[in-house]
Amino acid sequence: MKKKSKLPGLYLGFILALMYIPILLVIIYSFNESRISSVWGGWSLRWYRDLFRDRDIMEAMTNSLFLATVSSLSAAVIGTLAAVGMPKTNLRGKGIIEYLSTLPIMIPEIILGMVFLVYFSLIKLPFGMITLAVAHTSFCIPYVYMLVKARLVGIDKSYAEAAKDLGATEWNVFWDITLPLILPAITSGVLLAFAMSLDDVVISVFVTGVNTNTLPLKIYTQLKTGVTPKINALCTLMFVSTMLIVITSAWFARKSVSRTERRINSEEASGIGDSIGLVR
Amino acid sequence: MNTEIRRGSPAVLMTGGEPRKRKASFRRLFDAATISVVPIYVFTLLFVVGPLVYMVVLSFLKRAETWGVLREFTWANYSNILKPVYLKTFYESLKLASFTTLFVALVGYPFGYFMARLTAVWKRRMMLLLMIPFWTSSLIRLYGWIIIFRANGTLDNILMGIGLTKAPLKLLYTYSAVVVGMIYALVPFMIFAVYSSAEKLDWQLVEAARDLGATPWQAFITVSFRLTLPGLLSGVVLTFIPSMGLFFIADILGGNKVILVGNLIQEQLMKARNWPFAAALSVVLMILTSIMIALYRKVSGVKDLEGLV
Amino acid sequence: MKKLLGLAIVLALFVSLAAGCQKTPEAPPAAGEPQDKELNLFTWEGMFPEEVLARFEEETGIKVNYSNFDYNETMLAKLEASGGGDYDLVIADDYILEAVIAGGLAQKLDLSKIPNIEHVNPIYQGQFYDPNDEYTVPYGAGVQTIVYNPDAVQKDITGYSDLWDPSLKDSVGTIANYRVINGMALKVLGESYNTEDLEVIEAAGQKLLELAPNIRVIKDDNLQDDLLSGEVDVAVMYTSQVTMAKLANPDLKVVFPTEGIGFGIMAKFIPSKAPHPDAAHKFINFILDPEVSAECFEWLGYYCTNKAADELINPEFRDFLTLPEGFNEDMEMIRVVGAEAEEVHTRIWTEFKAACGQS
Repeated sequence: MKKKSKLPGLYLGFILALMYIPILLVIIYSFNESRISSVWGGWSLRWYRDLFRDRDIMEAMTNSLFLATVSSLSAAVIGTLAAVGMPKTNLRGKGIIEYLSTLPIMIPEIILGMVFLVYFSLIKLPFGMITLAVAHTSFCIPYVYMLVKARLVGIDKSYAEAAKDLGATEWNVFWDITLPLILPAITSGVLLAFAMSLDDVVISVFVTGVNTNTLPLKIYTQLKTGVTPKINALCTLMFVSTMLIVITSAWFARKSVSRTERRINSEEASGIGDSIGLVR
Repeated sequence: MNTEIRRGSPAVLMTGGEPRKRKASFRRLFDAATISVVPIYVFTLLFVVGPLVYMVVLSFLKRAETWGVLREFTWANYSNILKPVYLKTFYESLKLASFTTLFVALVGYPFGYFMARLTAVWKRRMMLLLMIPFWTSSLIRLYGWIIIFRANGTLDNILMGIGLTKAPLKLLYTYSAVVVGMIYALVPFMIFAVYSSAEKLDWQLVEAARDLGATPWQAFITVSFRLTLPGLLSGVVLTFIPSMGLFFIADILGGNKVILVGNLIQEQLMKARNWPFAAALSVVLMILTSIMIALYRKVSGVKDLEGLV
Repeated sequence: MKKLLGLAIVLALFVSLAAGCQKTPEAPPAAGEPQDKELNLFTWEGMFPEEVLARFEEETGIKVNYSNFDYNETMLAKLEASGGGDYDLVIADDYILEAVIAGGLAQKLDLSKIPNIEHVNPIYQGQFYDPNDEYTVPYGAGVQTIVYNPDAVQKDITGYSDLWDPSLKDSVGTIANYRVINGMALKVLGESYNTEDLEVIEAAGQKLLELAPNIRVIKDDNLQDDLLSGEVDVAVMYTSQVTMAKLANPDLKVVFPTEGIGFGIMAKFIPSKAPHPDAAHKFINFILDPEVSAECFEWLGYYCTNKAADELINPEFRDFLTLPEGFNEDMEMIRVVGAEAEEVHTRIWTEFKAACGQS
């Protein structure tokens, strides 16, 4: 499959480099002594110190991770079940439900946040982790749903039929055949959803409660006092830890690849291959 | 299993209540597929439809004198959109979205296409490299672009270092800066869409075309391009739609001088306290979006967005 | 089955992570006394120095839960949704306080619990939103000023009308508050910020269109960066931004516009159904202590509203944090205007921004 031309490789490298340059600059400026980002005040760890001294930041961080985990996993369950079930069921209005369920990523976040606020107080849902999780799940579902659905299209139905012929129940078919096949798509859906949840501020600010500040909320509500390079420091840490997780899981994956090479090769890499090498 | 069935009971309500059909719908209830879609039905009806209905209702209400809304019906919010300045905002949004989508396609299509031709290991690596930026804050990545574009920033220094320019260019807060920011934020979606389409491509078809004497370019146009068109089209939809609503890029890189529907909604909601008007704008935007998707289905003949998704 | 094992591992990982996260917020270190042991503070991020909050917690044993909002409007919407409950102490801007109090969402302060109230500078009291000072205690105050870089601007800028000068083409930055910027045009026309005369507002809109070619950027956050990097030469900014800019570059000139000074106050209030009103009173009193106030204002960069704290502020900051001479005479606060006037305001603002993009 390898081509003689080097052009594609160069192109891919070039575009990727462009994608990483802004992040690199953010990292460099996180070591800037000056509070004003346009003035270079020399190298310093001041903002990292500030970050670690911040009393609420760890709480906000755990809140954010918890929220992102809960909402991406509930989206994974709801989205996957729906993607698997929708083509087979003949329940009424499935086309409409399908369309409606993708709306949360189609309409502007700000209006979504506002209507969520009013709606939740209308149905008397107490503001806090629950409302946050519901709101985040609503915009996480479409990512999982669409990815899993796309993956299902490419799957050979004969496996499932064969299993059924051999007397497997619907449940067994799902658990032993379909699920492993769509797992890559679920994983990438969850990772994408996780990222979206971790980044959301516009909706969260409306539906959060007293004790549930999230990280982005803490960061982007500094309007009155000016956003500080503390954010750069925080982003650097997040970026570095993401990198570490990815590299570690890739390393683990390589170890398991040698063992299960044949299987991996038989499945094409749709989604976050390396990180889910572990799963397979 | 038992609990599952009980949880599924709202489905009875939804499948309608004619007594004759009752038996049939009962059997349907035991059907695994039906049970598995119950959660999304319940969630969507409860937490998506509810708020949306409220939004539509809101768009027909009157704003109160200072704060909140009055329970009085009015068309005024919709007729307000017809004012030249607001129509122009829609026009500008569509223009910018088209520009963005065009460039995103130009940059992202080759990327997704080339990526699909990599070996399995590199495909996975590439996918990861594309995803990692997603895991850092989207806003902060835009601040990175500010550092590049601003007066005496990275780009200025490079250009002046090479001797191409003498004085700092005013790059930040321009239309081009906004377009760059939009491309940056949206190109991964295009890549995912094109990639997943190109991934399924049977390369033997391309080779067959080559064997039959087609030039690489002809082979690409007649075979590869045609077969990856659904991916490209869904990429177009997936970039076009969000680019209408992404307000912070125009704010941060455009210095607020490029006004999009997204900005307008945000401002009406957060600063002008005109909730009904913001809701009306959102409804119109939602309708435009739905039309786009319907058009996509018509043109591509495909029922779903391919790719990222 | 091996695949399932993998899945189980991932799930277990997530669950343990989730469980780990859940525990932390549920275990406050407070001892089991019936008195208010918590304070739910609701305001923008970064309004108090860490040390001050820590000291308050130490002295009183009350844990401060600091929740944030982005805009005043978000705060009011949330407060309405909770019926004036959930939060114990809110800090927000003047104009929104009027709506809060009118909506019955604030409770009357028990001044006997706030002996330090005597330190408040009376200039900041008795304002339109709370004429008898029953509900609110001022915190920071701000003035809309023009700041410019005298090296880059040939002209001597003394008022808003100078911003229209053709020599400033594409070099003015402003904050994104439409009432402030529209108000600038109103002031140039010699009108009030709060006029409800639609024709006058329209005229201000026309006037603003002439300013469009000079505008380089309109944004709220970190506008001072653009002034310091040379992206803009003149900026209309919030007080905290002016403070930051002046500290980074003392050569910048700060102008109190001759047309009149726009002025704003952020104030604290206790929501009507606050769960821990006692803690809230204690906190207000604590912050009003002159030394604590001085520390807060140095951190915040807004005008000091505590008269006793004025002289305690580090001389390096004192100039920007205390009132200029003759301040009280020509100042005007921006207030909420009627729906029709508001609609014209937002429309001319959108037209203005569109015009800025065209030029």
